[in-house]
Amino acid sequence: MRYTDFTYNDILLLLQGLGVSAALFAVTTLIGLAIGLTWAVLRYYRVPLLAQFFAAVAELLKNSPVLVQLFLVFFGLPVLLETDITPVQAAVVTLSGNTAAFIYIIAVSAIESIGREQLETARVFGLSRWQTLRRVVAPQAAAFGLGPLTGLLVNQLQVTSLISVVGVLDLTRVGAILNLRTLKPFIVWAVVGLLYYLMAKLIAKSCARLETRLRAHTAWKGL
Amino acid sequence: MIHIEGVVKSFGAATVLDGVNLRIAPGEVVSILGASGSGKSTLIRCINGLEKLDRGTITVDGFNVADPAQLQQARRCSGTVFQLFNLYPHMTALQNIALAPVEVLKVPRREAEQQARELLASVGLADRADAFPAQLSGGQRQRVGICRALAMKPRYLLLDEVTSALDPEMTGEVLDILAKLAAGGTTMLFVTHEIEFARTISNRVAFLDQGRLLADLPTAEFFAADGGMAHPRITQFLTRLSKS
Repeated sequence: MRYTDFTYNDILLLLQGLGVSAALFAVTTLIGLAIGLTWAVLRYYRVPLLAQFFAAVAELLKNSPVLVQLFLVFFGLPVLLETDITPVQAAVVTLSGNTAAFIYIIAVSAIESIGREQLETARVFGLSRWQTLRRVVAPQAAAFGLGPLTGLLVNQLQVTSLISVVGVLDLTRVGAILNLRTLKPFIVWAVVGLLYYLMAKLIAKSCARLETRLRAHTAWKGL
Repeated sequence: MIHIEGVVKSFGAATVLDGVNLRIAPGEVVSILGASGSGKSTLIRCINGLEKLDRGTITVDGFNVADPAQLQQARRCSGTVFQLFNLYPHMTALQNIALAPVEVLKVPRREAEQQARELLASVGLADRADAFPAQLSGGQRQRVGICRALAMKPRYLLLDEVTSALDPEMTGEVLDILAKLAAGGTTMLFVTHEIEFARTISNRVAFLDQGRLLADLPTAEFFAADGGMAHPRITQFLTRLSKS
């Protein structure tokens, strides 16, 4: 067997990379959702200072390259805090923050899509702001925001490939290693690309199913 | 008793309510007539606390709507039905009606839904309980809107041009229900353009013009030649409306 051949172990290696990418995506999405939605709720309650502060943070994160953010966290943070930071930690921090910023923006526009008359109606009927959020705003905002969210998540999945540059052994990094060893770039990157494609499809499919359920109330079935 | 005293409300330079005094006693049906833009809907929005008063006071059963501490109780006393229904689109008719009783009055869900079903049956919508607003006609939506207000067991029903978005047939559906409620002794403040209907169900009729109450008279007197009709502005408005 020559070192340029593909072996059974290489498939395992790729799957391992895929697992790292998927796990990183899942973890940062969950953290990003939690943070982004919290920011949006702070804005919904019009909490002074905090609401404006996080709007500015989201603005910064959304308008600068993820790679720059990653370098700032991976190389900058250790200097600032005088601690070490592992590539995985840096990746989790950066991607979570970036996802949070975009989820905040989607959530805010979804909340603002709910007509003022519905909020007034809830108020007249004595619902508290929290009850209004939970029973009136959130269910409709979720249905409204799911479309843009799907686009965001598919994009964030691709963005995880950037973290390979700081040495996380994700799918792209494994691809790069195999490419160097086998010298078959066309095959390696085609397989890697296909794996990303399948994962993205899976995300889009699950979001679409959820959206159908959340939109059950509209007579409108789309074009 | 809903007590409206010297209420002034302006939006920027436009004075929408200009010193309105009105009392609605339990058991009364009071209709408010007036041209579009005369301040009728704003008056309703002031009573249920959606607009801040510039001057004057409104109390509902003694609770001052301008006081944040009392507003919640004032709102508890009255139920509002809106011109454009304002149903929650993501909830079925049943859920729309049961929401506030469950969340605000803490009625057990099963009980609230049972009550909602009875209300729907009383307006002839027993079989539409699980329909979403988008699947209902305008008249059906407004009937659900009325049920939703009644589910809170309000002492006063505030009706803000509840038929002006409906065609004559659907208007009939809704007015029939209001007539039944009036006959049953429900207290109503009825903002409307349906003059003939207002005449048959009201104890009193008030006329609002450019934010001022031009008349507030018992129904028969309001429509008498030497009563409300003696007022040129009211005569003009009523004849224009009956011509169209």
